[in-house]
This record gives sequence, structure tokens and C-alpha cells, in this order.
Amino acid sequence: MDDFHSAEETAFVVDEVSSIVKESVEGVIGGNVYQHNRVNQWTSNVVEHCLSQLSKLGKPFKYIVTCIIMQKNGAGLQSASSCFWDNTTDGSCTVRWENKSMYCIISVFGLAI
Amino acid sequence: MEEYHSGEEVSFSADEASNVVKECIEGIIGGVDYSQNKVNQWTANIVEHTLTQLVKQGKPLKYIVNCAVMQKSGAGLHTANSCYWDTTTDGSCTVRWENRTMYCVVSVFAVAIAL
Repeated sequence: MDDFHSAEETAFVVDEVSSIVKESVEGVIGGNVYQHNRVNQWTSNVVEHCLSQLSKLGKPFKYIVTCIIMQKNGAGLQSASSCFWDNTTDGSCTVRWENKSMYCIISVFGLAI
Repeated sequence: MEEYHSGEEVSFSADEASNVVKECIEGIIGGVDYSQNKVNQWTANIVEHTLTQLVKQGKPLKYIVNCAVMQKSGAGLHTANSCYWDTTTDGSCTVRWENRTMYCVVSVFAVAIAL
């Protein structure tokens, strides 16, 4: 019984993480238009906010959160990640968000301690 | 003696990783122009090749390699990352590269395996 419970509490749950990320992005850049002089602050706030919400989950994980914000201008952007880890315990989740003036891509990687 | 040597091999070296990444990028998109139908393949090759080279170093680390390739067209791009880990053993390194038609940003994150 104990093992079953601890397995649930210590797995990387993609849905949970995904909703934390979506709330963070909406909260930080929700209704805003791309602005060159503020984007620095936005990316920092998004990653810090996500990270603090994730650490509050209290799971035995190390986290890496990355955020890319790109102005909508017709340019092409491609992003890829490759990971060398333990497939049974580690996981990742990527959220793509956009509004009228910008795209935002956030990736969260969780590695079991 | 053995313990002293394995202490040196265990930590993440950002400089070494940075060189590995630069060689991989040059090898894959070195003299090429941005092409929408090939970019998918390029980012996949860059991350796989970088990862393979890093794993060959044989250090007890888990790796995450992230690569973004963007066409040069005047758009603004900003990236940030934040990590919740053990600052004594884990590390990261980011390499920014560009040519006439595109930008490439590769980040490597290395997390120590708790033994």
C-alpha cells in the first residue's frame, strides 16, 4: 500500500505540470502585446513562477524550465530536445501558447532524485 | 588515489560541453541557408549528435539537450531557463550560433545521478 502511494506521489505527472505552466503563462503575459523592452522580464517571470509552483508540489524531483518567446513576424522557428535519463522515473512536458502578437514555448523537464 | 580521480571526472564541464555543441552545429548546418522543409531534420540531428557525444564522455550525468533554430527575418526572440537542482553537482551551458540566414541556440543541462 505504501509503495503504491509513493509511486503516485513521485511520478512526473504531465497533466498537472501542463496546467501549472498554462496558468503561469496566462498570468504573466496573458493580454499583452509583444514589446522588446519587456520580453526579458516576461521570460524570467514565467520560468520563475513555474519553478516555484513546481517546487511547491513537494515531489523528489530536480526541475529545468525553459521558455522561448518569439514575436509573430512570419519567421520560422523549430525547437527540438533530446534527453539521456531514466525513462521510468523522469519526464518532460512542453506547452505551446500564443496570442495575436507572439508565440511562447515552455518546456519543463523533471528528473527524479 | 582512485577516489581523487573519479572526483575530477564526475563534474560537468561547461567548456567541454560548449565545444562539443559548437562542433555538432558546424557539422550539421555549417554552410547552409534556412530551409523550412529541412529544419525539422537539422534540429533533430543536432540534439541527437550532441547527446551522443556527451554520453561518450562516460560521466555519471543525465543530460537534456535543447535546440532552437530560427529564420532571420527581423523578429524578436527571447529565451530563458530556470533550474531547481543541486548547484554543487549540476550545470548547464548555452551556445548561440548564427549564419547569414538563421540563428541557432543550443542548451545543455547536466544533472548528477545520485549514487
